[in-house]
Amino acid sequence: MVMAVGIEDLNVYGGSACLDVRELCVHRDLDIARFENLLMREKAVALPYEDPVSFAVNAAKPLLDAMSEAERARIEMVVTCTESGIDFGKSLSTYVHHYLGLGGNCRLFEIKQACYSGTAGLQMAVNFVLSGTSPGAKALVIATDLSRFALADAAAIQEWAYSEPSSGAGAVAMVVGDTPHVLQIDPGAYGNHGFEVMDTCRPGPDTEAGDADLSLMAYLDCCERAYRDYARRVDGADFRSSFAYLSFHTPFGGMVKGAHRHLMRKLYKAPPAEIEADFNRRLGPSLTFGQRVGNTAGGSVFVGLAGLLESAELAGPCRVGMFSYGSGCCSEFFSGVITPEGQRRLRARGIGAELDRRHRLSMEEYELLLRGEQVIRFGQRDATIDPGTVPAVWAALQGTGRLVLDGMAGYHRQYRFV
Amino acid sequence: MDRDSILAIIIGQVREVVPDLGAQPISGGDAMADLGVNSIERSEIVMNSLEAIGLDLPMVQTHGPRNLGELADLLHAKLNRT
Repeated sequence: MVMAVGIEDLNVYGGSACLDVRELCVHRDLDIARFENLLMREKAVALPYEDPVSFAVNAAKPLLDAMSEAERARIEMVVTCTESGIDFGKSLSTYVHHYLGLGGNCRLFEIKQACYSGTAGLQMAVNFVLSGTSPGAKALVIATDLSRFALADAAAIQEWAYSEPSSGAGAVAMVVGDTPHVLQIDPGAYGNHGFEVMDTCRPGPDTEAGDADLSLMAYLDCCERAYRDYARRVDGADFRSSFAYLSFHTPFGGMVKGAHRHLMRKLYKAPPAEIEADFNRRLGPSLTFGQRVGNTAGGSVFVGLAGLLESAELAGPCRVGMFSYGSGCCSEFFSGVITPEGQRRLRARGIGAELDRRHRLSMEEYELLLRGEQVIRFGQRDATIDPGTVPAVWAALQGTGRLVLDGMAGYHRQYRFV
Repeated sequence: MDRDSILAIIIGQVREVVPDLGAQPISGGDAMADLGVNSIERSEIVMNSLEAIGLDLPMVQTHGPRNLGELADLLHAKLNRT
């Protein structure tokens, strides 16, 4: 019998501040019909004292706090998954490992492949557990990304306007091991599709470039072909009936809707009314949290999983189909089983309530943050961050036990819990 | 299938996917974005057109044309190659 493996516990961190996306669209004078098409409500916005490390630690700490000393000691791998790296050599995972107080017998490294990174990290961890080389060992996988670009002037802001409403921030932390309460992975049930394409990229630390049409097309091709590869490996797999729920990488909800429609047309020539009903039933719940944080890149397919566990009504164990896509590009369709017990655990995390507690930025506050005056840039040697950019956010953070970035000393990032 | 028949299929799909365009004239010189067709609708129009023509191509191979006429040229060339 194949051993059980998968996600034991999971948490989503959506930052300390957010912006109403409708207000942004009105402010930028964007077509409101286009806004409706995004299926988005809010997006997380990072403060100057937040970076991919603080997001990662703030996502993971509640999971670690819930574990016993003995359980924590079995975390033998910390994988950070990101396209928001802060150093070419040193991985985020070293900082994360330190601030979480984990033991030294641990593999620490980072994975990059745009928004596919979280799934690459999860599969790395799953296969580590399945290998049986260290029976009972666990891995901590954290997908952490934030979009914060150097927008020097009005022209740069204008150029970014297309992806601005959906660009978010967030981290997902997952403990992976052999008691998978949250998602029991179907071992060997996966399919991949990857090829070289220049759809979107981050050619510099503070820049993003891309072609929205090409990216959408690559996503659609991958969704179909990764699923077909899955079906080739898994006897009797049927997209329409094998999965009670689905969670797809979500740049914005409308894109997931397009991909689902594409797949249902290609595989079944399904009529529009059936496609719409199927989308609402099987994918609708996965949008619950993504609508409130924006595109979280590497973590977004797991933000989707958390959202469906939060909002779907589970009568018993059921199968979830997951699709992950990262520009450039690589993708994977895989599956696992969720249960009412896992749902209780996830709901107990109170992710929705934490998102409710975020400071709602005014447009003035948002634009101040967009200028990025206090933000530490890639390669900066020394800096001290003035946390007072938006005083209300800083005040609300005090006493929460969250990690914040204080500054840099000789390229070394300095953090503290507040 | 000739190029103009393919263009007629594409224009038919534009009208079907975006009924708001009504009786507005659409020709080969029009770009979908300029007609107000969003990116999700654009991909749906391409997918439906491929299906109607009987072409099974990766979507990324249909990227590049700047207007409906160029898209018809491209699909026509692909069709004649298969």
